[in-house]
Amino acid sequence: MNKFTLIILAIITIISCKDDDPNIVEIDNTPKFGTLNINFNNKVVGDLVTLNTGSYTNLSNETYTISELKYIISNIVLVKENGDEFTYPVANSYFLINEEVPSSKQVTLSNIDASIYTKIKFGVGVDQSNYPLNGVANFIPTAEESGMLWSWSAGYKFLKFEGSFTPQGGTTGDFLLHIGSHGEVLDNYKEVTLDLSSTLIIGDQTTSELSINADVSKIFDSTNTYSLEQKSDVQVDPVNAPILAENISTMFTTINEIPN
Amino acid sequence: MIKNIGYIVFILLGAACSSEKDEYVPIDKNPKLEFSIPSNFPEPSYNVSLNPPTEKGFELGKKLFYDGRLSSDGVISCGFCHIQDFAFTHHTHIVSHGVNGALGTRNAQPLHNLAFMKEFTWDGAAIHLDLQPIIPITAEVEMNESFSSILQKLEEQPEYVTLFGEAFEDQKINSENLLKALSQFMIMMISSNSKYDRIERNEGSVFTSDEAVGFELFTSKCASCHAGTLFTDQSYRNNGLPVDPQYNDIGRNRVTGLVSDLYKFKVPTLRNIELTFPYMHDGRLKTLKDVLDHYSDGMIDSETLDPVFKKTDGTVAGIPMTEEEKQQIISFLKTLTDDNFVNDNRFSEF
Repeated sequence: MNKFTLIILAIITIISCKDDDPNIVEIDNTPKFGTLNINFNNKVVGDLVTLNTGSYTNLSNETYTISELKYIISNIVLVKENGDEFTYPVANSYFLINEEVPSSKQVTLSNIDASIYTKIKFGVGVDQSNYPLNGVANFIPTAEESGMLWSWSAGYKFLKFEGSFTPQGGTTGDFLLHIGSHGEVLDNYKEVTLDLSSTLIIGDQTTSELSINADVSKIFDSTNTYSLEQKSDVQVDPVNAPILAENISTMFTTINEIPN
Repeated sequence: MIKNIGYIVFILLGAACSSEKDEYVPIDKNPKLEFSIPSNFPEPSYNVSLNPPTEKGFELGKKLFYDGRLSSDGVISCGFCHIQDFAFTHHTHIVSHGVNGALGTRNAQPLHNLAFMKEFTWDGAAIHLDLQPIIPITAEVEMNESFSSILQKLEEQPEYVTLFGEAFEDQKINSENLLKALSQFMIMMISSNSKYDRIERNEGSVFTSDEAVGFELFTSKCASCHAGTLFTDQSYRNNGLPVDPQYNDIGRNRVTGLVSDLYKFKVPTLRNIELTFPYMHDGRLKTLKDVLDHYSDGMIDSETLDPVFKKTDGTVAGIPMTEEEKQQIISFLKTLTDDNFVNDNRFSEF
């Protein structure tokens, strides 16, 4: 074998294994990626939710306690200073926030473009408009373990909010709000865009933190005022579910990010 | 020399890159299946390009379809209530049967030409074929199982590990691949070789005189809802069945919550209707004659009764038919039976 041949072989061998070979020095324009932890704090106005024992009052003068609070977050997008968007892989972007399970309230996103971000966008529920491209099928086990599938329908409950309530001068009863889309007839999926209170820096191979407050009092009192006395059992309800879904989309705010 | 270098390069490439991620499955190991649309059919609703059926995907879907592991008691497979001989319905069973003898509330629908349907189940509770199996799998009175548990059971079966690995690029046993495999099996289940099809495609068959008259009657009396070559306009309608207090099935209302959808059910396809008895969403009518008797004389009025069954003064008209006309319509309906389909080995359990 002549020299020329050997050189060619050597080059081909190296090229074919570029990704695996630590000896290749690369110019430092490689993409940099960091990790982001998003902490969801479920609150009633200023206080963290205490399941079962915490007693709260809404603007319709109904006192209530909360026994169950769960919701689905999806389609997370981070917006850079210049308006460019970093879309987290959609299929890995479904999360169930369950007040009862502390670990569920921290969402970890990895391999995020290192950059400076000013906004976060996410969905509440599951966007069924582009099924099956929305990659939601692998979220089924999580959803079913947490009772977030309607048993008789192939859709998801986007939010489950249950407890008991007492109207002013009335008797105590249970409330049960299950909000989801109704087939293709009524889409209650909502997109939320939040300005970050200060810029979020994602550095290379570092972990940043972001907190999102979910003020569940807004489920009753926000764009719409909703009293449980008016209807305390909302499941597939084409009148009240959209009213509540609209309120739910307003309950999120971001707070101080702790720089890494 | 040049030839030799070629070989050496090849070997070097192979040796240099024989890391774990390079176990390529040769393409011809899992060839694509041809999904062909019958010439008298519309375009499919299912986006086949997003889940193109392959030999292994189809084989996996079929294995899953007939596997009791998809239920909590290990017995009730999809194929338990969807029996091929009867166009994948539950022969003679009024409502579906589930685990431990549980009874459902609705009659198992036939499975064929699903790629051409927009929504699924009697009330449209599944808006995509890939989602439909979630309902029977998780329903307590049907298969009463969870996806996590099914996936765990499948992981323990070497045959499934192999099949999932061959069928899907990511080789994973997960819910997405499970549902896609089931869909690959189901979209291939096309029934398009009935006598009616051969007539519609001018393949040499002809109606008998009874069938021909029946077809004319059908066209004028039934085809506004049982429209087109799929024999359904895929709408939801109240056809005047008295509400059975045992089930009090509210129909489409359960999905939409709309009062205007109370007691409405999907207009079913009539293909293979001769085989899919008993009839109606709750299997209350045993024969095709019973069905036509209902339309001629059995309807009751209600808020949501379909306007097509009403006279201009608002009273119930039904579909007036003589006994002879009924027999002629039934003769025509029997031309929709597709023996090739119910005997097609590709879809058979054994």
